[in-house]
Amino acid sequence: MALIKTQTHQPIAHDERKQARDCNSLLLELENDNPMARRWAARDLADCPAASAALVSRLQLEDDVSVREVILTTLTVMGNEVAVVGLVNCLRSEKVALRNEAIEAMKQLPDEVAPIMRGLLADADPDVRIFAVNILESLRHPEVESWLISVIDHDPELNVCATAVDLLGEVGSSASREPLLRLKARYTQVPYIQFATDLALKRISDG
Amino acid sequence: MKRILIVDDAATVRLYHRQILEAAGYKVYEAVNGIEALEKSLQQPFDLYVVDINMPKLDGYGFLRELRSQDIYQAPAIMVSTEAQTSDHQQAFAAGANAYLVKPVKPEQLLIQVKLMIGEARG
Repeated sequence: MALIKTQTHQPIAHDERKQARDCNSLLLELENDNPMARRWAARDLADCPAASAALVSRLQLEDDVSVREVILTTLTVMGNEVAVVGLVNCLRSEKVALRNEAIEAMKQLPDEVAPIMRGLLADADPDVRIFAVNILESLRHPEVESWLISVIDHDPELNVCATAVDLLGEVGSSASREPLLRLKARYTQVPYIQFATDLALKRISDG
Repeated sequence: MKRILIVDDAATVRLYHRQILEAAGYKVYEAVNGIEALEKSLQQPFDLYVVDINMPKLDGYGFLRELRSQDIYQAPAIMVSTEAQTSDHQQAFAAGANAYLVKPVKPEQLLIQVKLMIGEARG
């Protein structure tokens, strides 16, 4: 019973660069019909900061997962404003795979993502706020706990708070104790919140 | 004993669902993403899947599409997600889900759906 793969995952080490590597040529290569050529172009464009907008545009259209992964890595390496805004826009995509890939990429950008995190956590779309909490999961930043506390104290959406509680169970300190108790009292009729807050409080008290 | 695979990247959610299902007498297994779920599904049969949508590596839709393309026993799947839009339900059913629950799920909601899917509901 072989696992059916629908996408190619050829190692980049076996690929070959066949075209000129200046920025303009690479931008043209980004539209090549061959995924291998697009993948190489996306990788080499890391040295062309002005190409971030083109990479962001390509990301929305790209069907090949291996090319998307390289584009996301390149945008992460670039880490400029256009790249970060492009990644944020992926969170609004209807394509689940692209959203999740962007979340994973943004976790690697603590310094670039931190300044916009408050905005993401206050986004009008609760799904984007949930994805922002997902990004915090492995974002190495000293503000993570205080952002999560703010979420459970102020976010009106139950599932955003629930996602934040999951994470506070892992990263929370004694500072999270009172906010968790407040959330528990706010949602006495929601079994999951009762369960998750009890678990988080236990983990915090166990140290 | 019926065997249920919970597929969710959130450890707290997996534990919550596990406790509900084990208390009702089911044997529960876990996977943290679609890839791990697919590997486990190819190694052993399950009677039911409880699947999240948003997961790294392979999301719930991708997992169900791959699962449904395999020549193995096709157990029913309940998709569980924070996303409550009609389009999300449609995508889930198109991918191969048999039921859809919106998080956070109440224990009785989950158990009713599980019994319906496994064929244990009594009229």
